[in-house]
Amino acid sequence: MNHVSTISDEFLNALVDDQLAAPERDEILQALNGDAALRERLCELRGLKQLVQHAYPQPPGSAGLRDGFRRAWWPQSLAACFALLMVGGMAGWLAHGWRTPISEGQMMGALQALQHNDFDAKPVNYVVHVDTANPVRLKTALDETESLLSNKKAGEKVQVEIVANGPGLNLLREGASPYAQRIAELQSKYPNLALMACGQTIRKLKKAGVNVELLPHTKITPSALEQIISLRLKQHWVYIKV
Amino acid sequence: MNILSFLNCNPRVLRERLEQCRQRLYRVALSWCGDRALSEDLVQETLAKALKSCSQLREQARFDSWLFTIMNNCWHDHLRRRHDHMDIDELEDYHCVHSVTPEDEHSQSQIVQRVRAAIARLPVGQREVLTLVDLEEFSYAEVAGILEIPVGTVMSRLCRGRQALKGELRELMPREVAEPARIRRVK
Repeated sequence: MNHVSTISDEFLNALVDDQLAAPERDEILQALNGDAALRERLCELRGLKQLVQHAYPQPPGSAGLRDGFRRAWWPQSLAACFALLMVGGMAGWLAHGWRTPISEGQMMGALQALQHNDFDAKPVNYVVHVDTANPVRLKTALDETESLLSNKKAGEKVQVEIVANGPGLNLLREGASPYAQRIAELQSKYPNLALMACGQTIRKLKKAGVNVELLPHTKITPSALEQIISLRLKQHWVYIKV
Repeated sequence: MNILSFLNCNPRVLRERLEQCRQRLYRVALSWCGDRALSEDLVQETLAKALKSCSQLREQARFDSWLFTIMNNCWHDHLRRRHDHMDIDELEDYHCVHSVTPEDEHSQSQIVQRVRAAIARLPVGQREVLTLVDLEEFSYAEVAGILEIPVGTVMSRLCRGRQALKGELRELMPREVAEPARIRRVK
């Protein structure tokens, strides 16, 4: 079926804006798999949306946001914006589903399905990108991480790296992380779990007078997005955004 | 039950909640009119009218939509005063917006200014829909309610607005990079 001619711009816009019901969304996502032109159109629309958001950053210190902390962090640096566009372009539609409310059970099932379908067992590594301070999402990120690490097949080497930036840095901040104890337990149980904090976010916080102390064994990468795009994706790690 | 009931019958709480929305209103107002002083006036007028008419709001869940509806009315009143006998939704008023503001000087890269200029060149109706969807992330139904237009019109205006922006900002757009297969869908 040729989806290029059947999926309208209005429909793609609705996907980008999270206005589609699950069946319609799934239909487009399925079509995207084999249609580079459709991916390009979607990529452009997501890029446009992010450009508009970047052009009107949320003023600092404003409260009462509809979705809380997330937008108070716009804009990142211009470079980060373009990095986001790249990620948004090729991965945004994939991450899209994760931004909508979805039960943890569904996410767990999905991840397990992914793992169980990978029978041609090359080493698979995962980068889990966290850019929200929402405690529910943070917990989900840790649940997924633990699931990835614990459900690996015998003899399989799996590495998981949690990369946190923006408001998501709270996950890795001493005194701010709601899950410091659990992270410590995960680290002690799984030596192949790495924690990476975004250096740009840390600099921004310090500039604003915030004292940033990270959880033990957390490494700092100059830029979370570079870590993901320039390093991990090129190394064929699987990108998961929560 | 009106909004005061929801807010424990406390006008002070309502005022605080309205104040918390000030920056969000300002951001959208700026994207509509491109003028800092006018944006502040629109926000002030919106908050004053909201305080006066809070009894009209019956559902707390619609608080945001209600507030932006008031601001949209204030904005349209302003446009009507300036442009008699014109279809406001089709109005292209970019020649009188986008003066250099402190925000412009403060921030912003050429790209930001280019995006703002491109948005300012959109007809008012498209500009309103685009910014309510992109900046405030209202649903299409909420935008339809705020602007008092059908949902289909929201979708078509959004589509035309984004097409126009795409034409102007094409070189800023991302391109799909190689090896998309390594990013996996897990649901």
